[in-house]
Amino acid sequence: MEELLRIMMEINPDIDYEVEDNLIDGKVYDSLSIITLITNICNEFDIEIGPKWMRNENFNSAKAIWNMIESIMENE
Amino acid sequence: MNIMSLEFVLFLFVVFIGYYSVPRKYQYIILLIASSVFYLSFSFMSGIFILLTSLSVYFSTRALQRLTEEQACYLKENKISLSRDEKRLYKRRIQTIRKRIMLLSLLFCVACLSVFKYSHFILEQVNSIISMLGYPEIEDKFHFLVPLGISFYTFQAVGYLLDVYWENVQAEKNYFKVLLFISFFPQIIQGPISEYEKLSKELFTSHQLSYENYAWGGQRMVCGFFKKMVIANTFGQYVTSVFQNYSLYSGPATLIGAFCYSIQIYADFSGYMDIMCGFCQMLGIHLTENFDRPYFSKSVAEYWRRWHISLGAWFKRYIYFPIATSTWSRSLSRATLRFGKHFSSMLPATIALVVTWLATGIWHGASWAYITWGLLNGLFIIVGLWLEPVYASATRLLRIPQNSCMWQMFRIIRTFILVTFIKVLPEVGTLTDGIGLWSNIFTSKVPILSISDILPFIDLESATAVSSLTVACIGVLFMLVFSIIQYREPVRKYFNALPGIIRLVLLNFVIILTIIFGVPTTWNGGGFMYANF
Repeated sequence: MEELLRIMMEINPDIDYEVEDNLIDGKVYDSLSIITLITNICNEFDIEIGPKWMRNENFNSAKAIWNMIESIMENE
Repeated sequence: MNIMSLEFVLFLFVVFIGYYSVPRKYQYIILLIASSVFYLSFSFMSGIFILLTSLSVYFSTRALQRLTEEQACYLKENKISLSRDEKRLYKRRIQTIRKRIMLLSLLFCVACLSVFKYSHFILEQVNSIISMLGYPEIEDKFHFLVPLGISFYTFQAVGYLLDVYWENVQAEKNYFKVLLFISFFPQIIQGPISEYEKLSKELFTSHQLSYENYAWGGQRMVCGFFKKMVIANTFGQYVTSVFQNYSLYSGPATLIGAFCYSIQIYADFSGYMDIMCGFCQMLGIHLTENFDRPYFSKSVAEYWRRWHISLGAWFKRYIYFPIATSTWSRSLSRATLRFGKHFSSMLPATIALVVTWLATGIWHGASWAYITWGLLNGLFIIVGLWLEPVYASATRLLRIPQNSCMWQMFRIIRTFILVTFIKVLPEVGTLTDGIGLWSNIFTSKVPILSISDILPFIDLESATAVSSLTVACIGVLFMLVFSIIQYREPVRKYFNALPGIIRLVLLNFVIILTIIFGVPTTWNGGGFMYANF
């Protein structure tokens, strides 16, 4: 989780990721931020985030993203 | 069946009565029958192609779903006995079969769309190459009618296919529900392009007649008819005149014609959406919204998030994100890290944007003008992205207050001018015509001696022309004021707070204006512009 928070802080350090739960629906992250986030997560955790996982609810909060990473790792 | 006809209004009335008369679990069947009648009233042959597309998508999604379930079942049953590698191998085998099924169906849908929409254009290009090499040209034998709404229903079908393939939704077991999802009549001509997950919940859930839905839907339909019949059709007459004879007009007259086009296309397209979304609301069905006050955007990128929202969302979901986050995009990003983090993260997004905007251009029309139009939109968005840090530094350096009203206004007006210039490019005719119109705005030598040289396409002597233009302009003013109000709250909230009698008088007043000023312009022709896409 710490690794993920570090990646997210690099994208936008002004957000309180412990609290924020509306990153996508609230348009806090734009499409470029999402692409950067996905690229960095894939590189860091050595996983593949396919289109299957591209749903707003998977990216709305740090916790949701972390849960998604765990699910992908489990599935792989 | 012409949407701007009494026949269509009667059709809607019959559908409305039928929808609420049958037991609620059969409501979707009424919609399916209505969609079939509506579609077949245009062309019987077109019906065959929509049927083939729906059948292809239905059978392939069912097969995909069966494989997904079989895989889950097999892995559950053999959870302990299979090793990690065996599980991986099995998953890969199933995934290969799934991919083949998906690709087969996808190719069929895209091939249908391409044959009807792009065969003339492709043949033209082939012939131009052949004739350059000195060989005789191939005769164009593709003389068939393009099935109505093929661009819209194909995208909706492909979206559903990919959603099932990506396991975002479960495949529908009932074929008739799939057919209704693809052919739902309010959205087949001009969209919105809906996602299965959202629209299926609306279509296949039973609805009870509610006064609020009935009243709000009806009011929205009245506004839609006014926008289309009075505003769009009135401005459309001037736009046609300017676009067909721009070389005869002065620069300001051509520029006014271009701005009229921006007003026309917005009133036309959003008017259609108001009519269809309004009718659907009367049935308790909420369609995806396609507009969010687009001419108040502060950049081209923002404009495209607020104009034809469902198409932009489709491209983003099924083309932009899959390309930008693909394995090779990430490899490219890693390989270019030495040029800096900003560069390496921007590159995959830029490539994905180029492909997305090229596809958007091609989707809108099979011509070089549309391809250029698409790439031009992409170019402005890409340049905006790359220069964002420069732009932020420059505004800081110049001490421009970002939130000041003047600065926001400047950005809105600048974006409106920019999108108007991009918009008109493919609408004049060929790419050369479009560039000719641009050039005429700045280089026309037609002298301006009187007001009629600025507005030569308006017959100032004709009382009918002046009065219908005045009503259309007042309508535009209202659209502007409503859009400003809508920034805070829906206008209809204020409208519904008025006493019933005043609401009734106002609504009837709009209906009378639409009949007086809209009917003659509709008789002179004036189909929906987006139906051509």
